[in-house]
Amino acid sequence: MIAVRWRDSVPLVVLGAISAAGALAAREPIGRLSPVRAFQGPSWTSPFGYGEAGVDLLPVVCSAAGRAMLLGAAVALFGFAVGTPLGGAAALSRGRFERVVDRACDLVQAFPSFILALAVLSAVRAPSRVHIAFVFALSAWAPFARLALAETRTLRAAAFVEAAFALGRRPSGVLAHHIVPHLLGVGAVQLGSTAASIVVSEAALGFVGLGPRDGVSLGAVLDQGVASMLRAPHVLAVGAVAVTVTSGVMLLAGRSFAGVTTSRSSR
Amino acid sequence: MTRAGNSAVRVARVLFARAAESTAVVLILASTVFFALRWLPGDPARLVLGDEASPAELAKVRASLHLDEPIAFQYVRFLRGLASLDLGDSLRRPGTPAMARVAGALGPTAELALVAVAIGSVLGIGAALLASGPWLPSRGRLWVERLLVAAAATPLVAFAPVVTWALAVRIRAVPLPGDPDAGAAGLLFACALLAIPLAAHVGRIGCASLAEVARQPFLAVARAKGGGPLRVWIVHALPVAVGPIVAVIATQLGALLGGAVVLERMFERWGLGTLLLDAYASRDLPVLEGAVVAAGGVFVLAQALGAAVHTAIDPRVRVEP
Repeated sequence: MIAVRWRDSVPLVVLGAISAAGALAAREPIGRLSPVRAFQGPSWTSPFGYGEAGVDLLPVVCSAAGRAMLLGAAVALFGFAVGTPLGGAAALSRGRFERVVDRACDLVQAFPSFILALAVLSAVRAPSRVHIAFVFALSAWAPFARLALAETRTLRAAAFVEAAFALGRRPSGVLAHHIVPHLLGVGAVQLGSTAASIVVSEAALGFVGLGPRDGVSLGAVLDQGVASMLRAPHVLAVGAVAVTVTSGVMLLAGRSFAGVTTSRSSR
Repeated sequence: MTRAGNSAVRVARVLFARAAESTAVVLILASTVFFALRWLPGDPARLVLGDEASPAELAKVRASLHLDEPIAFQYVRFLRGLASLDLGDSLRRPGTPAMARVAGALGPTAELALVAVAIGSVLGIGAALLASGPWLPSRGRLWVERLLVAAAATPLVAFAPVVTWALAVRIRAVPLPGDPDAGAAGLLFACALLAIPLAAHVGRIGCASLAEVARQPFLAVARAKGGGPLRVWIVHALPVAVGPIVAVIATQLGALLGGAVVLERMFERWGLGTLLLDAYASRDLPVLEGAVVAAGGVFVLAQALGAAVHTAIDPRVRVEP
């Protein structure tokens, strides 16, 4: 059984619902231009005000936040699915494979992946969210592998693992049936912080002009805000708060798994 | 073999392993970019020239980038160029080597990053000392720790524009760093913005490290010998706790370089970030490859420097003879 602290997931559910409602309830197509209302401040009809060329910021921010959350969750889940078994297998095999994976995690986590993302994205004409997800996935596995490595180093000396080997289980069987189930809890906690960092990185890419080709990105709103900070500071405030809240909510959602236990580990 | 000889062999082995590892890192990074640019769907020559380019123009770009050769030949040529730091001429500025453009942009970014590291280290260590030492009441120490957590969790891309608007536009306490007349004050402000996330990480690690050291008996001895709080914490505790702090500074360099790109774009300041964005816009492939290689080189150098400083400061991590 997995025990989840649902209370910490509430902000994620609320933000998800607000994003969906804001995007769906938009009275006009997202990003519709209307130069006469350019940079008008917040009002009852448009609580976030208008941005460059009269774009209504509410549906844009709601839609961008929702897409950023989906991107963050998808990349984090991919990293979880790849990194957790990889780290577990490396620690279980010991020796050179363990050292190589350990060092690779160090390097991937510390290297300026943002610069690598810029270079790799230049291979496509206009990046889509799939391209952006691919670039982030190149490094998303590392924190999960690092956690799995550390956890498996303790688990490999446990009596039940030694017993499984003594009973003739192959290393792959021990990994799949005895190690990985114990890594789910600790890996799940990392999901939140990885997803939050993806949200921020996607915003940073959008800010420097490499966001998704549809232009619906929190970073693009921030970019508009910086360009118009003298005449319309509300655009900057909306962009900055949206990025901070969205990444914070993803971080908090990860904490729902902080007390996670599996039926196997609780035995 | 003598004890000194054994030690020399061991040190040489460690140095060789580090050099091999560093070379491998740069090679892997450069190869990732090389293959991504050639294997991802789309014609690189068409990316450079656009859809309107004539077949003759496309053929000319393919020839200049050697895209008409088999991929294995291209890769060998690329590796040879990497070894001699000659990745060809910039497509945007024909006749100018790509690595020369990268070297020209590296200086301003290094200046920004180095000053940010200095400010971030001082702020972070100061905050860690305040949160661990006896100068503040327990509530004050808690607030310093909370402030560090909040600063670490707030994304640079969100707070840097807001702080700039508040300080440079609204109350005009600092000049806009993008202003040509901003001078050293503008650079310092930009560096301080870049330093805040680093300071938060250094502060958090410093707090944990100092908490560990605070339980050691040698601090009680230092106090018993009449050492004041400043002497006990700065002269005795800090050098022992500084190892993890140096390590976190080295590992945060990646985020710092990413942050530098964002700030350079925000303040329209020349540097590696603006060069990368410029090269991206014009699909200047040799410059893009060169920029990633340079970033990889800087990263490897910083890691090695961090390890050397850690070894010099903390005798426990030195190689045993």
